[in-house]
Amino acid sequence: MDWDQLELNPKVIAAIKKALHIYQHKEEFPAQHKKLGFGCPVFNRLLQGGLPLVGITELVGQSSAGKTQIGLQLSLCVQYPYEYGGLESGAIYICTEDVFPDKRLQQLIALQHQLRTDVPQDVIKKIKFGNSIFIEHAADIDALFECVTKRAPILLSRGMVRLIIIDSIAALFRCEFGIQHSITKAKYLQTLGAKLHQLSSGFQSPVLCINQVTDTVDERGLAGTNLDVLARVSPALGITWSNQLLMRLMVSRLARELSRDTHAAATGTVVRTLSVIFAPHLPQSCCHYTVSAEGVKGAE
Amino acid sequence: MGTSRFPPSIWGGDRKRSAEPLSQLLLRLMSLRGRGLWFRRPERIPDAWAGSGSPTSPSPRAVELLFAAMQRHLGSYPLSPGVRVKLVSAGFQTAEELLELKPSELSREVGISKEEALETLQIIKRECPVDLSRFASVSISGKKYTALELLEQEHTQGFIITFCSALDNIMGGGIPLTKTTEICGAPGVGKTQLCMQLAVDVQIPECFGGVAGEAIFLDTEGSFMVDRVADLATACVQHLHLIAGSHLEEEHQKALENFSLESILSHIYYFRCHNYTELLAQVHLLPDFLLEHSKVQLIIVDGIAFPFRHDFDDLSLRTRLLNGLAQQLISMANNHKLAVIWTNQMTTKIDKNQSMLVPALGPGFSGCSCSLSIITPGRTFREPPKTITRWKRRRIIFKDFAFVYMCWVRFTLEIFSSVIKGNHQVIINHLLKHLYRIYLSKNMVVNIKIHKYIYIIH
Repeated sequence: MDWDQLELNPKVIAAIKKALHIYQHKEEFPAQHKKLGFGCPVFNRLLQGGLPLVGITELVGQSSAGKTQIGLQLSLCVQYPYEYGGLESGAIYICTEDVFPDKRLQQLIALQHQLRTDVPQDVIKKIKFGNSIFIEHAADIDALFECVTKRAPILLSRGMVRLIIIDSIAALFRCEFGIQHSITKAKYLQTLGAKLHQLSSGFQSPVLCINQVTDTVDERGLAGTNLDVLARVSPALGITWSNQLLMRLMVSRLARELSRDTHAAATGTVVRTLSVIFAPHLPQSCCHYTVSAEGVKGAE
Repeated sequence: MGTSRFPPSIWGGDRKRSAEPLSQLLLRLMSLRGRGLWFRRPERIPDAWAGSGSPTSPSPRAVELLFAAMQRHLGSYPLSPGVRVKLVSAGFQTAEELLELKPSELSREVGISKEEALETLQIIKRECPVDLSRFASVSISGKKYTALELLEQEHTQGFIITFCSALDNIMGGGIPLTKTTEICGAPGVGKTQLCMQLAVDVQIPECFGGVAGEAIFLDTEGSFMVDRVADLATACVQHLHLIAGSHLEEEHQKALENFSLESILSHIYYFRCHNYTELLAQVHLLPDFLLEHSKVQLIIVDGIAFPFRHDFDDLSLRTRLLNGLAQQLISMANNHKLAVIWTNQMTTKIDKNQSMLVPALGPGFSGCSCSLSIITPGRTFREPPKTITRWKRRRIIFKDFAFVYMCWVRFTLEIFSSVIKGNHQVIINHLLKHLYRIYLSKNMVVNIKIHKYIYIIH
């Protein structure tokens, strides 16, 4: 038979692993055990370590909920050494709607020592944060595809970046495709998702996609849950995009326990909520956080 | 290729050779291995091919010879060159493809005269050691069973229990062995969780009601988290210890000695498939793996839709590959007496200005299995509706959201209005009350559709 032609044969048979092997030999399977930390113990506890290395994570929320802030913070966190939750590499930040918030990034870099109290000062001083963040502006879908298919693999293969952040993936797809183009839109979304997935699993790099929300008109909402923001809004781009995701996190500005948190109420900072909508390894849970000058910090 | 209408052949669809040689190769491999019977009933896999000779089916040696004969290339037959060129350009390559056609069909398809077609078929039939037409009918049915025997077999087959009584009751005892089950649902609803749970539950020892088998996990999306499986395994071990504590027999304690976190994890075989080629190749090579590891009772394919839903311009090729894959899985489930589970995505279908979620990959693919559909949390109904308006379509969803085990099962109950004269409403109201009671006690979701003349309970 044509077994010789099927060169996958020995590789494929040898590649079956026992789950015990994966569990015990943590070094050999970094995709399962290592995670990209957030730089904040509350977040890391919520996500049991941080972002998984393989797979597309989505961060969805209303505007001014803090999504870009979290994205910026992650692009700094990824540059720390492995023992502090980073990946010792840079990040690609693809902006699709607004100009990249450069001043805010500089402010964050200057105040890293205040945020990351667990890391010694000399380590922080040695890292050149600004050098390793590669910023792309993609105004339309073709530019985004070109960036993801051509430029990102080059940077990833050289090891210069290990995190891809797409700020507002919804912005491009919502304005260019009307109702009648839903099939084309679905095809583009699937291709993009597949390409990102391929990059993520090929280079063991997390991909964070920031998404927007749309309002849902539904008179019978899901009352009585702690995720009551869900009753009024739902992530954009529909089920086609949701099928590509590994994990979905939602941020919102409204915190139900605002009145209980007297410290925040006294200082006037807005308390926001980060909730896990779905993830293969996490229960549905949420935590509160604030956005301050040095970055995003979880609130106990 | 020509534009004439081809009859369905062993390759399915039309004869256009796709530009992808590797997939074609895989198609051929699958066809040879599993006798891809696309257009015959998928459940009947002839036992003759599996090698067990019996009085009603030919011996393995005859099967081998026939196999070789059917796969002989047309070039090796003593046909006239003109005819041979026309046959090859029309896409025929092996003898068996020709033999399915009648002479008139063959002449129409290839563009040769009827006499030439007749002569060609006679030459080919002469060269074969066995009369194919007679054999074909026997091979399709294979080993003959009476319906009673099949019923008995179904009753005695095992189930993979999940220790969630609601789920087990709905599925009639658990996930059935020798059958394929499809789990579809919206993203984030718990399909991978259920698969991971079943990979642990299949290993439950027999004295606790399990099947004490091993599991193969084929992952296409990368959502298998070994830490989570470790949590599930630890919980299962603790649960079993609790049960064993209340039993005084020795065998429960003894069975638990070997049932620990390490042993559970060591019996889950994990493979990560990065694209559809790897998935197809892995499924193709599974029978060899199963021969070495005979204790495997469960194959899970997590995310069967994921690698097939992009990069496929040629939809007929995708359909063929999917059919072949489904056939292989079904045949493995039958022959090795194990359960096969795959998870599917949902996609939106717009039908008469109404959009609804349906399983991806088309209805033909879903039809290959008994399905378990998990939907997203729906709306809450506090009390059952009092009356049902006849002849109107209504959809009543009882919802109760539990993190993993929320599902509705498709089973149809058809009551034709001509059989039961009058009193439809009474029957439906009784049914609704009964189902509502079940819902209250067991946290089930039931989806009821009432059509004109046919009452279908999903």
